[in-house]
Amino acid sequence: MDNGMENMLDMYLFETNSLLEQLDEVLLEAEKAGTFTTDDVNEIFRIMHTIKGSSAMMEFSSLMTIAHRIEDLFYFIRENTIDSIDEKHKKELFDLMFFSTDMLRAEVEKVENNEPLSSNVDSFVEKVNSFLNKINNKSEEAPAAEASTASENGESSSSAPAAELPKDGSGAFLKIIFDEGCGMENLRAFMVVTAVKDIYENLTFYPPDVETNPETAAVIIEKGFLLGFDTKETLEKAVNIIKNSGNVQSYEVLMPPAAAKTFEKPEAAAEKKEEQPKPEAASPKAAAASAAQHNAAANAMHTGTNKQSLISVNLSKLDKLMALMGELVITESMVTSSPELQGLKLDSFTKSARQLRKLTDELQDTVMSIRMIPVAGAFQKMNRIVRDMGKSLNKDVRLTIIGEDTEVDKTIVDNIADPIMHMVRNSMDHGIEENAEDRVSAGKNPQGEIILSAEHTGSEVVITIQDDGQGVDPAKVLEKARRNGVLTKPESEYTQKEVLALLMAPGFSTNEQVTEYSGRGVGMDVVKKNIEKIGGVVTISSELGKGMCTTMKIPLTMAIVDGMEVSVGKSIFTIPITNIRQSFKISSEEVIYDAQGQEIVKRMDHFYPIIRVHSLYNIDTEITNMEDGILVWVEGGEKSYCLFVDELLGEQQVVVKPLPTYLNAYNIKNSGIAGCTILGDGNISIILDIANLHHSASSYGY
Amino acid sequence: MTDEFNEEMDIETVKALNVEIKEDTKKFLTFLSDGLTFAVEAGYVSEIITNYTITILPHVPSFIKGIINLRGQIIPIIDIRERMHKPMLENTDSSCIIVLDINSVLIGIFVDTVSHVVDVYESSISAMPPNSSQELVKGMMSLSKEMVILFLDCELLIQEGY
Repeated sequence: MDNGMENMLDMYLFETNSLLEQLDEVLLEAEKAGTFTTDDVNEIFRIMHTIKGSSAMMEFSSLMTIAHRIEDLFYFIRENTIDSIDEKHKKELFDLMFFSTDMLRAEVEKVENNEPLSSNVDSFVEKVNSFLNKINNKSEEAPAAEASTASENGESSSSAPAAELPKDGSGAFLKIIFDEGCGMENLRAFMVVTAVKDIYENLTFYPPDVETNPETAAVIIEKGFLLGFDTKETLEKAVNIIKNSGNVQSYEVLMPPAAAKTFEKPEAAAEKKEEQPKPEAASPKAAAASAAQHNAAANAMHTGTNKQSLISVNLSKLDKLMALMGELVITESMVTSSPELQGLKLDSFTKSARQLRKLTDELQDTVMSIRMIPVAGAFQKMNRIVRDMGKSLNKDVRLTIIGEDTEVDKTIVDNIADPIMHMVRNSMDHGIEENAEDRVSAGKNPQGEIILSAEHTGSEVVITIQDDGQGVDPAKVLEKARRNGVLTKPESEYTQKEVLALLMAPGFSTNEQVTEYSGRGVGMDVVKKNIEKIGGVVTISSELGKGMCTTMKIPLTMAIVDGMEVSVGKSIFTIPITNIRQSFKISSEEVIYDAQGQEIVKRMDHFYPIIRVHSLYNIDTEITNMEDGILVWVEGGEKSYCLFVDELLGEQQVVVKPLPTYLNAYNIKNSGIAGCTILGDGNISIILDIANLHHSASSYGY
Repeated sequence: MTDEFNEEMDIETVKALNVEIKEDTKKFLTFLSDGLTFAVEAGYVSEIITNYTITILPHVPSFIKGIINLRGQIIPIIDIRERMHKPMLENTDSSCIIVLDINSVLIGIFVDTVSHVVDVYESSISAMPPNSSQELVKGMMSLSKEMVILFLDCELLIQEGY
């Protein structure tokens, strides 16, 4: 059924994306610390290596090249330890790394969208090369100086080399001849140098200016490219590398006649010499190496166990499983509440039915938990946004993440990523003060803070995005709202809460200027819509000068809800249990009427409007008398009111089914209907959307 | 059930109308609605159901009778009479729902009664008169002296939902 290649591609994308995410995390952590730890370097090296390998397998050459270059870069860093790079270069390295992850991501996106990949990544390769060169030279300088003094001490006996060989004290030379007509010999030579330098830093080579001077290509073609070594060991290692490099036609070991003897003999001395000048450098390297080994082993163990206990499954299969689960729940209640069983005394049937119920419940929980993933993925991305925006807007902001392990349904995680990003951008752009001085004078920490948190509260997950910036100025909001014509009543009548709700009105953006990040006027209303789409609610609270807090309350899963079945005439409605506060009967005397004749009931010292479902939905029913029916006190989306229904039928777990798409054109969602469900007897019950129902009632002049 | 039904009707049609089955004909299912004979392409017909419970939906145009549960699938039901602005008919024994699968959108149409399957040369379908106000019909054909078939435009039927 599945196409093999498609599957591979899916796997590749999944793997690469998670690796890139991991990489981002490592980079952000490292940048915070200002340097890479050995673990970080190893991790990045490993990630790049994997991406390179799998990209090569999938034949995505641009991805492979980028990953390859970074791998090279980190190979160098790993070999030389991060301490060999000075502060200035480190900064450059971070920028380069962020740039390269962006590039990788862009390429992966192209793969996802089936677009052609960039064929030219030379500019990037150039960038890495030049950086590599920079840090290479840097770390070269010191040891080179040491080496030259060392060679004076240790190898004073070496005599003048043969005429064609340069005189620099190297014990042996390697002459490389490149393939005829391969072009850019100087750059190829330089690549060899870079490769060899990884194992031998004191390398000398001729012509010395291969990297910068293209004319050397001619010299290399004619005379070959010379590499100078002073120990036999390194020479041998280099030979191995060169053997494996591309375009090398042949190589030849040349020794200055006089040096030949000394080269063989003072091996021990040479080795000593190697250790002598830089014991500090050597020991961390050894430590790093052992750490690396240790780490690799740990990693291997880690991935080993991972492979056994984790499998990745196509989401559509999970959806299918979920749908089947839903059908099973329905069928189960169909069987156990079959009308043919009514009035029969079936002890063992009841027992088995109860057992079946228990099992389906358990199965359902398990199926749900499969779809649950931590919100960490969506949260971690924000680190990067805060960093990038902080840099470009020149604001110093710290992002604090709380409760990233909170698990929610996969579809919900996918749907909250954009709203969260939007709110974080908003906070960065408009929330946090332009200048640190403004913050200091307001008595705040010069560093801004954005807190992103997630927590479970029963059947909901609450996500808050909080900043300690300047907050929302109600006066400005009102002014803007007036200009945009969003106001529906005199300004003075707006409460703080209502003012904040204006922020989420379509086409409202308080920022005067459209910036790169926000202020296009399609902001908060989109956030609100997205969250409402998954059954959630957004609220904003803010205090001028103290910051702003956006709270998103989202149901954990949308597929199965606990509902209360109520009947109105012949229709059956389901009210989600989470929305119900209480249900009670009242006498006609308790009903209070307002000027418009709206029925109101007093409950716990508060007054609540009564909405008669039968008259709202034009349903014929015999029960119109307040005393005959029952009131269900519901609460949803800031609204609290009572629904008048005929009778309560009982509580049931129902599987939410969306209404046919055909009906979308008739705006059925706005009549307070969230969807429908199939009851045990095959009938359809309509699930009410409590928050929307109130809105609908008021718009239908109720 | 559909297949049986179609087959049965085929034979009847051939006998009754003496229409010969030719290769380049198309099968159409005809049904009655307020005295008019309509036809839908048999390819769109997924099944005909007579036993159903319609759940009404609030705040929708009156021609949407509601939704039904067809083996776990929720299908909207349109009353063809009301859709054509004809008087509503109380449910009778012969009234039934034709479930159409139009480009994988399932929709049920509520009709007075299903008559039979006819084979029609597509070339014999004539276009509607230009000033006709008849909705949702893309062509017509006279079958016999008294009988005119109106061909329902199924694509249009679902398009308006979007």
